[in-house]
Amino acid sequence: MNPTRRTILGASAAGLVAAALAACSSGAEGGGAGSGDPVTIGFVAVGPEGAWRQANEQNIQDTFTEDAGYTLKYAPATNLDQKSQIDAFTSFIDEGVDLILLSATEGSGWEESLGRAQEAEIPVILIDRGIEPDDTELYATRLAPDNVAVSTSVAEWAKSTFPDGAKYFVLEGPAGVSVVNERNEGWAQAMEGESAFTDLGSQTANWSTEEAKSVFETVLKSNGNDVQLVFAQNDEMGLGAAQAVQEAGLTPGEDVKIATIDGTQAALEALSEGTLSFVAEYNPLFGEQALEAVGTVLEGGEVEPYIQIESTTFDSPEAADEALPDRKY
Amino acid sequence: MSAPPIVEMKGISISFPGVKALDRVDFRLFPGEVHALMGENGAGKSTLIKALTGVYTIDEGEVRIDGTPRRLGGTADAQAAGVSTVYQEVNLCTNISIGENVMLGHETRGPLGINWRDTHRRASEVLEKVGLGELDPRLPLSTLSIALQQLVAISRATVTDSTVLILDEPTSSLDANEVENLFTVIRSLRDEGVAILFVSHFLDQVYAISDRMTVLRNGTFQGEFMTADIDQATLIATMVGKEMKALDSLERASSRREVDRSGAPVYRAEGLGRKGSLEPTDITLHAGEVLGIAGLLGSGRTELARLVYGADKPEEGTVRLEDAEAQIASPSQALAARIAYASENRRDEGIIRDLSVRENLILAVQAKRGWARPIPAQEKNALVEKYMNALNVRPADPDRPISNLSGGNQQKVLLGRWLATRPDVLILDEPTRGIDIGAKTEIMEEVIALADEGVAVVFISSELDEVVRLSDRVMVLKDRRKLTELLAGDSLTSDTIIATIAEESAPEDPGSLEPAGTGASS
Amino acid sequence: MSTDATSRTSMLRTLLHRPYFWGLIAIALLLAVNSLKDPSYLAIGYNANTGSLVGNVIDILRAAAPIAMISVGMCLVIATAGIDLSVGSLMAVAGAVSMELLASAGGSAGAALAALGLALLLGAVLGAVNAVLISVVGLQPFISTLVMMLAGRGLAKVITGGQNTAASNETFRWIANGYVLGLPVVFLLAVLIVIAVGLLVRRSALGLMIEAIGMDPRAARLAGVNRRGLLFAVYIASGALAAVAGIFASASVMTVDVSNTGYQLEMDAILAVVIGGTSLAGGKFNITGAAIGALLIATLDKTVVFLGISSSATPAFKAIVIIALCLLQSQRVRDLFRARRAKTAPVTSDAPKEAVAA
Repeated sequence: MNPTRRTILGASAAGLVAAALAACSSGAEGGGAGSGDPVTIGFVAVGPEGAWRQANEQNIQDTFTEDAGYTLKYAPATNLDQKSQIDAFTSFIDEGVDLILLSATEGSGWEESLGRAQEAEIPVILIDRGIEPDDTELYATRLAPDNVAVSTSVAEWAKSTFPDGAKYFVLEGPAGVSVVNERNEGWAQAMEGESAFTDLGSQTANWSTEEAKSVFETVLKSNGNDVQLVFAQNDEMGLGAAQAVQEAGLTPGEDVKIATIDGTQAALEALSEGTLSFVAEYNPLFGEQALEAVGTVLEGGEVEPYIQIESTTFDSPEAADEALPDRKY
Repeated sequence: MSAPPIVEMKGISISFPGVKALDRVDFRLFPGEVHALMGENGAGKSTLIKALTGVYTIDEGEVRIDGTPRRLGGTADAQAAGVSTVYQEVNLCTNISIGENVMLGHETRGPLGINWRDTHRRASEVLEKVGLGELDPRLPLSTLSIALQQLVAISRATVTDSTVLILDEPTSSLDANEVENLFTVIRSLRDEGVAILFVSHFLDQVYAISDRMTVLRNGTFQGEFMTADIDQATLIATMVGKEMKALDSLERASSRREVDRSGAPVYRAEGLGRKGSLEPTDITLHAGEVLGIAGLLGSGRTELARLVYGADKPEEGTVRLEDAEAQIASPSQALAARIAYASENRRDEGIIRDLSVRENLILAVQAKRGWARPIPAQEKNALVEKYMNALNVRPADPDRPISNLSGGNQQKVLLGRWLATRPDVLILDEPTRGIDIGAKTEIMEEVIALADEGVAVVFISSELDEVVRLSDRVMVLKDRRKLTELLAGDSLTSDTIIATIAEESAPEDPGSLEPAGTGASS
Repeated sequence: MSTDATSRTSMLRTLLHRPYFWGLIAIALLLAVNSLKDPSYLAIGYNANTGSLVGNVIDILRAAAPIAMISVGMCLVIATAGIDLSVGSLMAVAGAVSMELLASAGGSAGAALAALGLALLLGAVLGAVNAVLISVVGLQPFISTLVMMLAGRGLAKVITGGQNTAASNETFRWIANGYVLGLPVVFLLAVLIVIAVGLLVRRSALGLMIEAIGMDPRAARLAGVNRRGLLFAVYIASGALAAVAGIFASASVMTVDVSNTGYQLEMDAILAVVIGGTSLAGGKFNITGAAIGALLIATLDKTVVFLGISSSATPAFKAIVIIALCLLQSQRVRDLFRARRAKTAPVTSDAPKEAVAA
């Protein structure tokens, strides 16, 4: 997009600001250009991956509506393939959209595409997933719950639940993905120097319930069932580990405590039943914050390079019961 | 001959699992001679050639080339020693140009890589030597007929400045003109001092071109003869080791039989045709009759057979089987209607290399029954045994992969495959091509026996003598259409057939031949 | 030498010439390595509560079941000189349709049967679509099934609405988690299916026909073999077997994960087939070999976890084992070994000669 068009757009946006505010209760601060000339946003998304992603992307789509003054072009990746994302990203640039939202399936390999967007003066906002190396020059801002903070909260819970220490195992997502690295980082930092805890190792289960069950059944055997704590980096894997624990004739929640990240409905139900012991939410619902950031960026305003989304934790069946009725995902 | 031999092989033995392919065979080849290697299929000719070209490793014995003992560990070794080979089946790349094929590995190199202009110019020079000077070496090889590809393959062998040139059945797909052309090339190479090893089943050609011959039988050395000193009868006797009365007894076999053509024909097609392959043609087949189809390469004889069998789907024409209208659009429909067809292309459309003799033999019967009704083991064994014995398949081991068998024995297995389906109509397309005299006779005897049993046999061969000898009636094709049908009798000879074919073009001015006509005969 | 010993050596020699021999050796080696880490690795216990045998080997058998299903289907397809890249996606489709049905139809045995039937039917239908693309439209198997691989996962997502669907149904769950005579049901089912398919293709003429069209389609056609019908048979079989694998995988956790169920398992299946001695060029095939290949892949997966190999090193470890195996299977490498051994240890009597041959 050329600068001239941006100016015109800015002017028309300013003129229509009142109408936009009236039209949408969300208060898109000047970002919406009104029903006559909606702002086009390309959303390079991950696509179906799990309940968390589903909630997150649905939330974004529900926020950037025509009513709010936006045309959102949703482009999910084919089978989590980065190449399909890069293709979608490039075609958004060629189309000349006003702004691109990006949830990268893989952190690395985005420099060139982001550089092209910059040349075309199309701002990019990262949703949830970060890029590696994290060059903040290449994008406007990143909105995400803090993975490091979330996994740190799991570790803090573990330390308080097992004051005398425990033997633990970590079920990771696919190796090399930035989320996995960050969740490992938070956990490792908090657990460092905790001599009472024994690290039995970690293994990927590719976010999958079925694989987690198969992996953890073997982990139990190789450790003679002597495992007290499982840190599953997503809910699905935690639920799979719980099934493996049951198959081994043990009771999840008593013999083996399982902590997970994400906070999907299924996980909270399991927490309520006691099969999971701790669920750290990784809040997917930040459409509002995204809308706000998009508005500011399109107006040419300054935003922080990282906008942290607040998340909560659930450490008891009661907490789960309380949250369940309102759970949207 | 006073010069020392360029190739000398002594006491060569090669064994394969269960077979002694060569047993202490001696062979020598002198510079400036054409040496014919003779023997039935399975005699060891191919094995000996492959030992000389480094394809097979020798178990025992010694190879000397130009006086030096050589260990040939691969084809590259043989080429380095100056031995070039043109195999029976053309071994070229059809997707690159003629010139590239000729010069492959010997391209002219300039500072910027390959100099294609000069490479193609040199290719033209080489092609000139085999009478293909007018060909544009830049055309893809696939634009040439098989016959011309063969000549290209031979010209390729001359590029490497070979001292020894092996020609394995080079004439099997050439017409008389092309053969003469090739012989001129061979003679000029011989006069330049090249030693030429020539393998062919055409005895006349062997006598026309060779100076000396070595005869093998069952992997053993039978003798080395000067061509001028040995007559055909003696040679055949040495090759097959039995009296060749069969050929003579076949001579009049067909004329002795009376064919009853009064009943409803087993098969009758009217206006059977397909665009670009055959003009609408009528064909009638009677039980107990051998119908010969004569015509040059490209006359439409194979095309006709394929249309009858449904191998190619006919575009027009009606078919009646014993007066009932029928539709035959695929081989499985043909088999269900008791029509069988043995393709001329034994390697690609006949045998299935990796299956055993047994599996190859029962395949068509099984396909006819459908996969859900396997032939019971006992019946299968009986079937295999019956046809292997009847057709004298050697070696008589049904569990051997068919690719281990010689061409003639493969052909017998295929014949068995079709006979096992108990066909009413059996179409044999060049069943005797590339196989030895012994197997040839056996197959022709079988054809007559089948006709006596009431099978309608269609016999296609470029060997007019064979057609005349076997057929009760001969259909003559030319340029993809039927010229005429001739009944057997004393007046029917290969000369009359040739005259018929030649006559047809006589009314026309030879200078104004249609392009289609020249295309078909090449 | 006693007759017993001779028959045993001859049996050993027959086994040696089986294409899957090295696969068996690799399984034995992996088990041995695991036993080094934990001497009780191979021990099998009995759980009186569930009436089941318990042990690492049992886990391996259970994990091998779904891989064996798709490998057997893949083996038939590869024998026709084709390939079926869609098996992993079809697993997800089968899982998705059965979980959706169970989630709404409830926990009755009837619902479980309906889910089974529907999943199998859908697998077979999608297999038939592959067959249509290949044998009627004339697309290459690679392309046709690649399309189905993408479309299948898309279809699974449509069925579940993009969600990972969970359901509860004790009968359905029993398929993957139950025990009969102490052995996992899923393993027994897999064995039965492998034997059934093996008998079907070898007792009927299906095997011969499939090999014929895989080796030489032109010659097979002229021999009257109905290529189209056979291609339908193998791709439908592959689709239905993928559905069985999808049922196994989703019944194990009573959840279908549309993105991950069966993800990239087509690669495991192809590897299992190759390990089992079937050439990717088509022709001769070996169902037993494919099943053993599946068992090896399951053993390998379990070994990686048991030894605690780190996630990032796992792909490399698996690759090394598989490359080593393929090298051992390669005739050229074996000839090389044989030649060297023959040189270093000259044959003096019959006994060492046998050793050399081994």
